[in-house]
Amino acid sequence: MARVKISEYRAKKILLGEEYKGVQLRSNNKMVIPKGKWVAKVDQGVKKRMKQGLVVVGKVGADILKAIRSWEKKGFSQFLLEPLVPHEAGEEQYFSMERVREGIRFLHTREGGIDIDAHPEKVHTYVYTAAKDIADISKRSGLPKEFLTTAIHVFEKNFFGFLEINPLVVQGENIFLLDAAVLVDSAGEFFVRDSWSEDDVVQGRAKHAAETRVEELARTTPASFKLTVLNPDGALFFLLSGGGGSIVIADEAQLEGAGKLIANYGEYSGGPTREETYLYAKEVITLMLASRAKKKALIIAGGVANFTDVRSTFLGIIDALTEVAPALRKAGVKVFVRRGGPNETAGLALMREFLEREELLGSVHGSDDIITSAVGDAIAAAPV
Amino acid sequence: MNILQRVRKGDDGVLVFGNHPAVVQSILDFDYLSGKKEPSVVGIIAGNRSAQKFFFGKSEILVPCFKSVADIPKHLRPRVQWMLNLQSGRRAYESTVAFFEAFPQALGGHIFAENMPEMQATELIARFGRKHLIAGPSGVGILVPGHLKLGAIGGVDMHQIEAGKLSTAGSVAVVSTSGGMTNELIRAVAAAEKRVSFSVAIGGDRFPVTSLTDVLKLAQNDEATKAIVYFGELGGSDEYEIVEMLKTRTLTKPVLCYIAGIIDEAFDEHMQFGHAKALVARKDESARAKREALREAGALAPETFPEFLREMARLPSAPVRLPAAKRSRVAQAGDRVVDIMSLTNRQKSILSTREIVDLDAVPQFVRGGKLAKQKDNGFAAAALSALLGSEVSPVTAAFVENIFELLIDHGGHVSGAVNTMVTARAGRDMVSSLAAGLLTVGPRFGGAVNAAAEQWLDGVAQDADAADFVEARTKKGALLAGIGHRKYRVGLGDPRVAALSGFAKLLKKHPHYDFARDVEKVTTRKSGSLILNVDGVMAALLLDILAEKEGYSAAQLQKLTEAEFFNALFIIPRTVGFIAHFIEQKQNDEGLFRLPDELLFERKKGPKKGE
Repeated sequence: MARVKISEYRAKKILLGEEYKGVQLRSNNKMVIPKGKWVAKVDQGVKKRMKQGLVVVGKVGADILKAIRSWEKKGFSQFLLEPLVPHEAGEEQYFSMERVREGIRFLHTREGGIDIDAHPEKVHTYVYTAAKDIADISKRSGLPKEFLTTAIHVFEKNFFGFLEINPLVVQGENIFLLDAAVLVDSAGEFFVRDSWSEDDVVQGRAKHAAETRVEELARTTPASFKLTVLNPDGALFFLLSGGGGSIVIADEAQLEGAGKLIANYGEYSGGPTREETYLYAKEVITLMLASRAKKKALIIAGGVANFTDVRSTFLGIIDALTEVAPALRKAGVKVFVRRGGPNETAGLALMREFLEREELLGSVHGSDDIITSAVGDAIAAAPV
Repeated sequence: MNILQRVRKGDDGVLVFGNHPAVVQSILDFDYLSGKKEPSVVGIIAGNRSAQKFFFGKSEILVPCFKSVADIPKHLRPRVQWMLNLQSGRRAYESTVAFFEAFPQALGGHIFAENMPEMQATELIARFGRKHLIAGPSGVGILVPGHLKLGAIGGVDMHQIEAGKLSTAGSVAVVSTSGGMTNELIRAVAAAEKRVSFSVAIGGDRFPVTSLTDVLKLAQNDEATKAIVYFGELGGSDEYEIVEMLKTRTLTKPVLCYIAGIIDEAFDEHMQFGHAKALVARKDESARAKREALREAGALAPETFPEFLREMARLPSAPVRLPAAKRSRVAQAGDRVVDIMSLTNRQKSILSTREIVDLDAVPQFVRGGKLAKQKDNGFAAAALSALLGSEVSPVTAAFVENIFELLIDHGGHVSGAVNTMVTARAGRDMVSSLAAGLLTVGPRFGGAVNAAAEQWLDGVAQDADAADFVEARTKKGALLAGIGHRKYRVGLGDPRVAALSGFAKLLKKHPHYDFARDVEKVTTRKSGSLILNVDGVMAALLLDILAEKEGYSAAQLQKLTEAEFFNALFIIPRTVGFIAHFIEQKQNDEGLFRLPDELLFERKKGPKKGE
């Protein structure tokens, strides 16, 4: 599937094992701050934590709890305590590993604390394809061979896709990871043992309840379901199908200047059943009813499916629409459709008949019309 | 010859992994509508079944199934050129490796799973990416119109095959990272009155085995291809491969691209879209940056999808080529005429490929007013040819005739006959009474022939020592089938066994019979009554006869035991015996049978409480 970020706590635990002295704290558990001075931070995949005030350095119990309470008010629930590692700025380096087509690519700078995007000339790139490459990379980068060997072993064994250590502190033979970010290959979850799990995945932002429910649905079927809520009070609600087709349709809205009206992005694909499609459609439709926008439109659209059955997926969508048809009518919602694929004729006929009967019909297009037809109609009907 | 040329010459044999009947059926429909005489699907790797039924045109066919690549018979192997892997991401890696290890000369394949770990994908690239054309992980496969449909590409119902003109070869190559958009573009090419030369859905995963560059090289070197249409998305840097090829002039054919993902600009943060790769990690991975780079290098990369379609209509293309004989007035554009209406409403039947009785060969018993001379053992021969599906030799027919005659009846004491008679006397009809008798047939009565056949096959296959074999069986507490008799014993041989044993002399080799006799030597040392019985000798000799006279292999004999064939040799004649008992009971008409009191042992009741 995709690369997903895991918590810093889990990342370091995997990298360092027993040696790692960090403490994980979660809001719904009882929080006990161990004695001593700590670095405390939010551990939910948030970028630029220092700038956002989501890190405190060298504090003790009560001060840390105070900081955590303030972070909780911002919606965070997962935190990390780490011992302070005193070091000189000159000892800081940047180090990252990423899986690429040929093997693993290393990026390394001997100077730390710099923005690597701003200083590409200071970044050295090495590509590891087989064990024989380690000696050469070690010689050219100055990083100990043993460190590289361990890093590669851990990276592969735990199905990492990306690992960034910034800064990496090198004090002679001793190496400290002050900050580590790991993206794991989510397809590896089945294969890893005593490593990370679904539980360790962090989002970088608070998740909408509908998104969580769709993720749970996706986990229990070979079909694919995705949902991101962009603007709860948006006017254009998307019930799209197909990973590529859905972007083409959303693009059209943006190109027509209606980007800010989009309430959600998402897609279903991979041949879901009627029941699964019903559950998914229900989430989108519920979001739509909750939106405070004045004029709302539902766009049920996708490309010409290869194997997803148009009839049975449309039956699922109709099931979900049926439950709230009066409310949709009252809100003045119109539904715009474009779809092709197996059982297209029957599926479109059912949908048209239903929408006409319930007075929800915007327009219905089949595979003879262009993929952007429905979104075009919807925008035309609700001028920006 | 490159891969596409070989496909167009007929190298189209597909081995399917996993169960996805709709996709397999769509391939067979494509084959049929493309005018192929033979389906391209050679077999399916799926456990627990020996074959799966599909339609080829209007008729049903059986596609053989195998447990693993190793089980594919030799005669099918040369046909296999392509792998269609429909297994889940958890299993697809292993089976892909197994396929290309077994078929190193194969042209390529498609991996359907969307969730194969990256590390496994890069491993496949390193091992097989150079030599083979492999679409995926993820996506919908490879299409060469009129020649190969490897996957769901182009759709799975036949209306889609027609609408996308998948049976007609053309000159526009369709390449896409998205499976759904592959089909959308194929339809758009058809709508623009052009036809597709070939199409590859590269897949939206991060590491497709065959890269975009490899596919574009294929298009550049393909004589049939005049232009390329490409669908890509935000995320990843594949499109810079096109830019590089255009700049170095390794790609000179016109390229028309649509790069989706302008919508990402509407959000505060970069978003993960549907495909694994669809996330902008660097500035140059945005849809806009890629469009601009492509335009600068000389590709067409329109701003909107409707513009993209208008450009598509302007692309150069060759007239559709088809042999003159295949043209008709209806297909003026050169399209193959595809009659999909005839394929709708296909009815699935219960599979029966066997013509039990040859309707053209009605046996003539009377010729010219006289009784004609008949074949020897005619009924046994006809029954065997029905059971086995082919004519048998005289020795086989004679042996079975001998068994039939021996086994018609064994008196009224045996349990099957008792049940038949009891049922008849209860006033039931012939079929009910016969059924009561037949339902008695099982491991303790009459059903041991098949078990004995399995046992002798097993012993010979292992080349087992008889003593060890007996030891191993009895240790497990298993009974030996085909051994032991209530009445006959060493010194008082079973005359029926002696009669049947004569057939061994008609054979050059009789390993199963020899093994059975060796086992008998071991068991009779324990008890004189543990002799080879009729079930045992029947099974052993029939195995030897089928092997020598009918050319059955050990595997084919194994299949016969799995289908319980050997028990038929008891059931057929004994049916006659049961009916005989039924008729006799009807004629005697003694009324309802009740077990005489003295035959029923009744447990004495204990004293009641309080007495």
